[in-house]
Amino acid sequence: MSTDCKKTTATDIPSTRRVSINDAAHMPLDYSTTPGGTLFSTTPGGTRIIYDRKFLLGCRSSPVAKTPPRGLPKIPGVTSPPSKDTDEKAHNGELPNNVTAPDGSNTGDDSQFEIDI
Amino acid sequence: MNQLECSRDEEDQEETECHQDNSDGINNNNNNNRRKTVCPGVGEHPLQYNYTFWYSRRTPSRPASSQSYEQNIRQIGSVASVEQFWRFYSHLVRPGDLSGHSDFHLFKEGIKPMWEDDSNRSGGKWIIRLRKGLASRFWENIILAMMGEQFMVGEEICGAVVSIRFQEDILSIWNRTSNDQTTTSRIRDTLRRVLNLPANTIMEYKTHNDSLRDNSSFRNTKISL
Repeated sequence: MSTDCKKTTATDIPSTRRVSINDAAHMPLDYSTTPGGTLFSTTPGGTRIIYDRKFLLGCRSSPVAKTPPRGLPKIPGVTSPPSKDTDEKAHNGELPNNVTAPDGSNTGDDSQFEIDI
Repeated sequence: MNQLECSRDEEDQEETECHQDNSDGINNNNNNNRRKTVCPGVGEHPLQYNYTFWYSRRTPSRPASSQSYEQNIRQIGSVASVEQFWRFYSHLVRPGDLSGHSDFHLFKEGIKPMWEDDSNRSGGKWIIRLRKGLASRFWENIILAMMGEQFMVGEEICGAVVSIRFQEDILSIWNRTSNDQTTTSRIRDTLRRVLNLPANTIMEYKTHNDSLRDNSSFRNTKISL
């Protein structure tokens, strides 16, 4: 009995997406995340780049993210000029954004306690 | 969409380039049209959209008007990648540290944080009022959610604002189409999730047309429970 083989132009639904990594430094530290963003989602109109909070916070410690931006205007009380002094504390005790606050607000905890606002 | 016109010359610059020259202290915010786009640096994580930081401040005694508002806002810089964002953000004071009647705005590149901008004409915003002490953390979380595309409303998000005021602080998120209920509902639900809002948090929506009419950002809003 011969099977009737027809050629078809159908292909498998793509289930994987290839991202080339040339440098070990680009690999995420977390096994559960993928390079280039946590989710690859294909939406009508193309792929959207999605990052979750934890991933974004993780990028903060890379040296590339710490150099002062060029062209930062000097606005006293608003912009903090590039300074090696990372212990600078503002008036009312709030730390500037370039200091990692130990109060847990920067830890990537998804289970933030509910606060009464 | 933002990245199409990006000049490749900028790839070897790691910093963002704000083409506005603000050093003279006078704001020229009208020339959004001829904008140079910033690019993610090599090895950086690109954002779905480029964003621009803005800052504004008003002395309370001065009456608010559209013209004075436009002169009181100034750009700080634009970012195209996660790393560029952190570079700017790390060199800005936290909103809780701002004095007086001040705002930070983070808007998609090309959209001015003004009701009259083309992208905002038919739009509106959700607002959440915060007691003092919460603005810095909530601001960080809302902008991370926005840049990370957590809202899932296509092109609708325009930007976010944190407004420091006398006795309370206000978080706002602006979208393009105020009468698109699917979109506004989804934004509201996402806000509850990413900001971990208590269940009984009051959220208010106001169309920009209404704001233009009563010349006020935060009065006469529609309350949503």
